Amino acid sequence: MTNHLGDIQNSKCIFIIGANPAVAHPVGMVHILRAKELGAKIIVVDPYFSRTASKADNYARIRPGTDIAFMYGMIRHIIKNDLYDKEYVKNRVYGFEETAKEAEHYTPEVVENITGVPANQLIEITEMMARAKPATLIYNQGLTQHSVGTGNTRQTVILQLLLGNVGKPGGGCNILRGHDNVQGASDMSNLAHSLPGYYGLAEGAWKYFCANWKVDYAWMQSRFKAPEMLHKEGFSVATWRFGVLEEQNAKNNSGTTIHGMMNIGSGLSSISLTDTTKKAMEKLELCVIVDPYFNDMGAIADMKNNLFMLPAASQIETSGTVTATNRATQWRNQVVEPMYECKTDHEILFQLAKKMGYYDELVRSLGDGKGNFKWPEDATREYTRAIRSIGLQGVTPERLKAQSENWHMFDTKTLRGSGPFKGEYYGLPWPCWSEKHPGTPIMYDDSIPVSEGGMGFRTRWTPKTPDGTSLLSEVELKGTKSGVKGHDHITAANVEAITGIALTEEEKEKVKGKSWSTDLSNILVEKAMQAGLCPYGNGKARTVVWEWIDKVPKHREPLHSPRPDLIAQYPTYKDKDNHYRANIKYESRQNEKVWAKEYPMQLLTGRYVEHLGTGTESRSSIYLSELAPEPLLDIHPDKGHDLGLRDGDMVWIYGTTGLRIKVKCKFSTRVAYDTASMPYTYSGYHAGESILGRYPKGLEPYAVGEASNTIISYGFDIVTTTPETKCTLCRIEKA
Amino acid sequence: MSEALNARGLNRRKFLKMTAIASVAGATSALGADESKVLRPANAQELKEKYPNSKKVRTICTYCSVGCGIEAEVVNGVWVRQEPANDHPISIGGHCCKGADMIDRVRGEKRLRYPMERVNGEWKRISWDDAFTKIGTKMKGLRDKYGPDSMMFLGSSKVSGEQSYYIRKFAAMFGTNNIDTIARI
Repeated sequence: MTNHLGDIQNSKCIFIIGANPAVAHPVGMVHILRAKELGAKIIVVDPYFSRTASKADNYARIRPGTDIAFMYGMIRHIIKNDLYDKEYVKNRVYGFEETAKEAEHYTPEVVENITGVPANQLIEITEMMARAKPATLIYNQGLTQHSVGTGNTRQTVILQLLLGNVGKPGGGCNILRGHDNVQGASDMSNLAHSLPGYYGLAEGAWKYFCANWKVDYAWMQSRFKAPEMLHKEGFSVATWRFGVLEEQNAKNNSGTTIHGMMNIGSGLSSISLTDTTKKAMEKLELCVIVDPYFNDMGAIADMKNNLFMLPAASQIETSGTVTATNRATQWRNQVVEPMYECKTDHEILFQLAKKMGYYDELVRSLGDGKGNFKWPEDATREYTRAIRSIGLQGVTPERLKAQSENWHMFDTKTLRGSGPFKGEYYGLPWPCWSEKHPGTPIMYDDSIPVSEGGMGFRTRWTPKTPDGTSLLSEVELKGTKSGVKGHDHITAANVEAITGIALTEEEKEKVKGKSWSTDLSNILVEKAMQAGLCPYGNGKARTVVWEWIDKVPKHREPLHSPRPDLIAQYPTYKDKDNHYRANIKYESRQNEKVWAKEYPMQLLTGRYVEHLGTGTESRSSIYLSELAPEPLLDIHPDKGHDLGLRDGDMVWIYGTTGLRIKVKCKFSTRVAYDTASMPYTYSGYHAGESILGRYPKGLEPYAVGEASNTIISYGFDIVTTTPETKCTLCRIEKA
Repeated sequence: MSEALNARGLNRRKFLKMTAIASVAGATSALGADESKVLRPANAQELKEKYPNSKKVRTICTYCSVGCGIEAEVVNGVWVRQEPANDHPISIGGHCCKGADMIDRVRGEKRLRYPMERVNGEWKRISWDDAFTKIGTKMKGLRDKYGPDSMMFLGSSKVSGEQSYYIRKFAAMFGTNNIDTIARI
């Protein structure tokens, strides 16, 4: 989130697209409803009439996978009617002309044809959103899980930039993330394309982390198959299965397929192609799963041998940091000792590293470097000291503990502290530039000084575009002393010129060769703030990404499109080899056959409030299971009639994966006639068969059912490989 | 059990005390006819507090990314009661049904209790020593035979920041970038 949940109360209009906070973030929804009580309008754009939609002033039923076209329709209307913030766009945005040119195509009629939303409703919604100042935008996995997911999320930002809503209280682009520490896991980069803190995989990043970890870069290189493999993104959570099953991908993986997997607490039935995951696991020579509960993949895959299930302590049985959806970190206190024989995740890693001979290197940067350290505090200090790219250096265990023990001292709407916490924001939302910095509750707000939580847009790529246009902001940051408007990110080479502050010889020696993100002395950051500047620059946000396939977002039909007539005009991408080390199909899959002929219905998946993720935890709760014992397929009564169904009948759903699942149907007008919807959070049945016999006796969850991802269609985002779970075709028959 | 006892105005500590006396006395039912002889009146502190001398711990819900506060009450290492945190700046006393059930996520019947290995299609209980030795040997074996890229590591969106950092570091030092998590989606 650029902003935070309490800040939504400052909004005059809340535009929710591809998110269902009433179910996925019920306590977050409270803030949205408070805003509504204060007069804010709520717009919900979703193919499913969700519980969130039931609170909307305007609900638009959109066809899945057409969000880019819908938002271009909005952008076009905004530009044509001079509803955009000209001053803001001129000062802080690059690429307006190209965006406007692309938007030209998306007339209300074109948008109606693509999205199914009536032209007049598009205009109503756009007017409601554009005339409200400020308006906030909320999205979630309804936007990200598409072959064009990255384009979808870019489009939300472009829309909000044109309206001048980014960097303002009550505005912003706010993704509501899933699990409790999913933001933390991203920040620590349990990600195949980066070292912690999004530093990437280039040589400089590895050298920086090797220094932080107190190991030689040469030693690290020796750990890899070949030195160049350090710099190649690995298999992702979506593509690794093809790394096991498809020999052709070995060429991208230093000549080998994947033979072993260690899964420390990722639910896998919540991503598409469950059957592919099953087959991949069954081919492994080793599979280790670490979880507080029995991870359902241990039963979905019928591995006869070499499968280990290790009992992890839950996060209530250990302590450490947890980063919420708004980038705010809280200290989570241990409540009880680990139950039974459970061990903490780090203890398990330490023991395995000992067995494999690299424990000393693993913990060398903790405590005295000889294995004497205090967990988790020493590890907190280690990672916050290293991760300067998102400004974690101001986040210390001491500050977090004091805040958590005194959470009553913070304002619910602004997160601002009082008493001893005056001038601090709750959770020190990053970037938090120093131990005196208050944290940044609202990103890109250039109306307050950087030292008080303000900032510009980051000059992340380059200060100039390839054609030589400046990418620096045309406005000063608040409190700038040196009269500098936009500026590049701060390095040892430019710090004196940009800040106008002379460094002492000693300081120069300390920062030699460093930049704001690698300078462990923090001198560069401190000098920038002293001059009222932002360590990572003050640039323009770009709506054009010249190095990507889609320089500006483009509508592209999903791989499995219910509108084959639109594929020729809006085709998907070319197939992409070595996409997170796998050969991923796009156009060859889209054109394999006219999918909609065989599979005429669209299948949506979502959640029940009672269950989260794969439901491994929540379906092991007797109370939550009683509330939501089985998955139900929402189907429109008219459709039910046409299929010869009665409410409550069992149906087979046939997917484009070639498999089918059996579920109970529920007549509901939440879905359109040609659409059905079910939750993705169940397992215990696979393709019509019970797999409960493969659970250890007594550990079967209370609530069981088919995993929808068994039949969710193939497809992956062009940039990230996020599965396209939100555009699935299916056929439904009475069972 | 504690809830049922509380309904009778008892608490866990008194119940333990009571049963101890009862067993010494050889009574067949502590709650039967001899009740008056083995029970003592609650003292002032016990009347005022449900769990006297309990430790109150502020912690954070482990379900979604909102980050709701939880007030946990612990007696002798046992989490006995959970309250939503009325003064938490984000959750403001709110809880969804999942958050309200946090206490049972710890002590639930379905928790994994010990390491297990699947052997010829059957789940076998093994010791931690065995688990670490077998897994460590096999992982090192795969690394030696096929190279470090023959392993795939998946981290978690549910571990702490510190653990997450160490998972990334663990994979790097194993020698591969085949490390990812559900955070991607």
